[in-house]
This record gives sequence, structure tokens and C-alpha cells, in this order.
Amino acid sequence: MAMFSQNPLMNGPNYSFSDAPKTSAPEGSREHRFDPYTDNGGSTLAIAGADFAIMAGDTRLTSGYSINSRHHPKVFKIGGTTADQHDATIVLSVVGFAADGEALKERLDSICKMYRYRHGKPMSVKACAQRLSTILYQKRFFPYYAYAILGGLDEAGKGAVYSYDPVGSYEREQCRAGGAAASLIMPFLDNQVNFKNQYVPGSGEGHALQERERRPLSRNEVEILVKDAFDGAVERHIEVGDGLQMMVITSNGVEEILLPLKKD
Amino acid sequence: MSSPFSINGGACVAMVGKDCVAIACDLRLGLQALTVSNNFPKIFQYGDNVFLGLTGLATDLSTVSDLFRYKVNMYRLREERNIAPKTFANLPFICGFDSIGCIDFAADFIVSGTATDQLYGMCESLWEPNLAPEDLFETISQALMSAVDRDALSGWGAYVYIIEKDKVTKRLLKGRQD
Repeated sequence: MAMFSQNPLMNGPNYSFSDAPKTSAPEGSREHRFDPYTDNGGSTLAIAGADFAIMAGDTRLTSGYSINSRHHPKVFKIGGTTADQHDATIVLSVVGFAADGEALKERLDSICKMYRYRHGKPMSVKACAQRLSTILYQKRFFPYYAYAILGGLDEAGKGAVYSYDPVGSYEREQCRAGGAAASLIMPFLDNQVNFKNQYVPGSGEGHALQERERRPLSRNEVEILVKDAFDGAVERHIEVGDGLQMMVITSNGVEEILLPLKKD
Repeated sequence: MSSPFSINGGACVAMVGKDCVAIACDLRLGLQALTVSNNFPKIFQYGDNVFLGLTGLATDLSTVSDLFRYKVNMYRLREERNIAPKTFANLPFICGFDSIGCIDFAADFIVSGTATDQLYGMCESLWEPNLAPEDLFETISQALMSAVDRDALSGWGAYVYIIEKDKVTKRLLKGRQD
């Protein structure tokens, strides 16, 4: 059964690329191979609000059945003036192959810093989103094995979330889950953020029912949703756990919150 | 895709509430990506309050459900009583099986089918202990509908059974037809 079919190279139970079934070489011949990727597990989540955006990710780093680290962040501030990113306004989350994620973060960060130096103003999320797509597509035939989500505030001050595939297809969305537990979290988000499958009681029969009207969620409501989504994912997915890192982007800057998750 | 478990698609979920249980299934029957029928229930009744949900290869669902019907009928003739053991009749109870018969006793919920991941995510976050029958119906329905909407091989409506001590309620949910 395709239990963790997020992995693009396989469609079956898998924890690491090195576990992939190898086609055996003919008798007497030697096969050389190059395994440049590992799946480091973990999950990310982003939700855009009316005047804020929350980016979240667990802090476990795995390879196969091993836990390599219980605190390895995959949510990063991007494009601040200094290395500590105290004045950053854009946040990037990456999940998949941790080394590629890190490399992608470093590259996008230096591009944002160069933009600020040349133009004398910080990059907008819209521009940064398009640039990230270009970076990913430039490696179309040796991709960064990373599912990226970019978050910030748009020109009107509204929460903005952009999600990507590993080769740069992107879309602005209200919310998105990425990584190992994306398939567990995404239907929950459809239901609780976009109110999918919720109808006004007594407003009709069958398909004539009136959909529950969407309303912007408060920051507190979103923080609770994120925690609930991860608590569910931790319970049922072995690659998710240890810590929950949340970045809350508001007009006052980026606030980082670290919460514990189950460590088993 | 060629695994027998995911050729026809489908999803089942069962939940425990306070003095009640619920079991629900989707209605899709497909051949890989092609939908053949949108009226293929996957829950079978074997007594006043004994229900079995099956997902997997459609031909095996027919075989297994018919085999169970035969065995249950033989049991009833031989024992001259219904299969529902007394302990189970007054005790809301659910359990799951894998394809070779290993039993999964659960105090909360059981899921199966191609939307397993999605159902686990939904159930783990929506379910809570001691739900009353109407609340359990809402919970299992929201869990199933949102889960199958994120699985291409499941959906096209659903049946939900709420089993209480003295009655069983069956409801049809009209889901997205895509």
C-alpha cells in the first residue's frame, strides 16, 4: 500500500531513498550508482490570516527509522539585514531532504539580501515567491528535493502563503500542509480553515444545502488549529514529533514560538 | 497503483461514542482512475447490530461478504439464535482487521481503505470520548467527507450507520461527485 507516497521516486512503503528496491545487475556485471538524496521526514504547515500568517514545522530529523536530531528547525526567517534575521519579514519552511532545504534557504536568503542592498528596500513576498520558483526551476533536472512553503504579508498587509513542488510550480493559498504528514493534515485544514463539507443546518436538501460562510480566523484560533493538527500527526506518523516550531508573521515582525510535541 | 488494495479504491471508518457506535463508508467503485459506479456500499449487516465494513479489491469484497453471510446463517441455524453475543449486544464495540485477519481492538476509531492516511488525520483531530449519537454522526461524517475529498480513489457520497442499543439509523450523505 502506498503509505507514504509523498516520496516522488517510489510509490510504496518507504522511509529512505536508500531502501528503494534496486534493480539487480546481470550476472558478472557491476553496477555503479549515486544516491544523492535522503528523505529526512518531518512535516510543515502554513495558514494565512487576515493580517498575519503562521508558518509551522516539527523539529524532528530522521533517516529511515533513526532519529538524527530532536531539534533541527525547518522554518527559517528570510531576508533580514543581519545574520540573526531580527528584522526579517518573510519566512520559508522546507521539508524533504534537509541538506537541500538548508541550501535552498541560504540561497533565497542571500538573494533577498542582495535585493535589499541594490534597491534599498526589502523584497515583497510576491517578488520573493516568484524568485523562489525560478530558483527551483533552474535545477529542473537535478532538483532540490524539498517541498517549500513561503509566508509573509502582502502589499495590502494581508497574510500570504505560497506553496511549491520541488521543481517550482507554485500557488498562493489560504493554507497548506507539506511533508510526511501532509496527507493527514491537509483534509483537516480543508475542514477547519476553509470550512469544507460544513453547511448551514436546515438550509436545503442534499446538494442544495448552503455552504457555511468563510470567515477570517483569529491568531489565537489558528495557533490552536496548528497545535491540534500536529498533535494528530505525531500520534499517527513516526517521522513527526519532538518539537513544534511556529513563526507568527505580523506587521510588528516575526515572533517565534517553540512548543513541545511527543518524543516517542 | 497495481496493488489489489488500491485498484478499486474506497474508504471505511468506525467510531465509538457514548452508548453508541458509528460506521461509515464511501460509495465509489473505480478501475484505477476511472469511476465505474457511484453506488457501491462497503458496509454489510450481519445481525440486528452487527456491521462489517470492507475495503480493498471489489471482487474480494463480494466474496468475503457473501462468505460471512453464509457463515452467519449457518451459525443461526445451528445455534438457533442470532450471532450477536450478549456481551457485544449491550456494549458498543468496534474492531478492525488486516487482510490476513489480525485484529485491531480500538477504544476510539478504526479506519481502512485508500484514504487511510487522511482518515487517521481527521479522526485523530476531530474525535473525542463520549460523543452522543447525534454528535458522533456529525464527527464521523465530517471526518469521512473531508478525508475522501483528498483521495482521488474514494468519495462520490457515503453511507453512515449510527448503532445504538435499541435502534440503528442509516443516513445517505451526498458528497462531491468528482
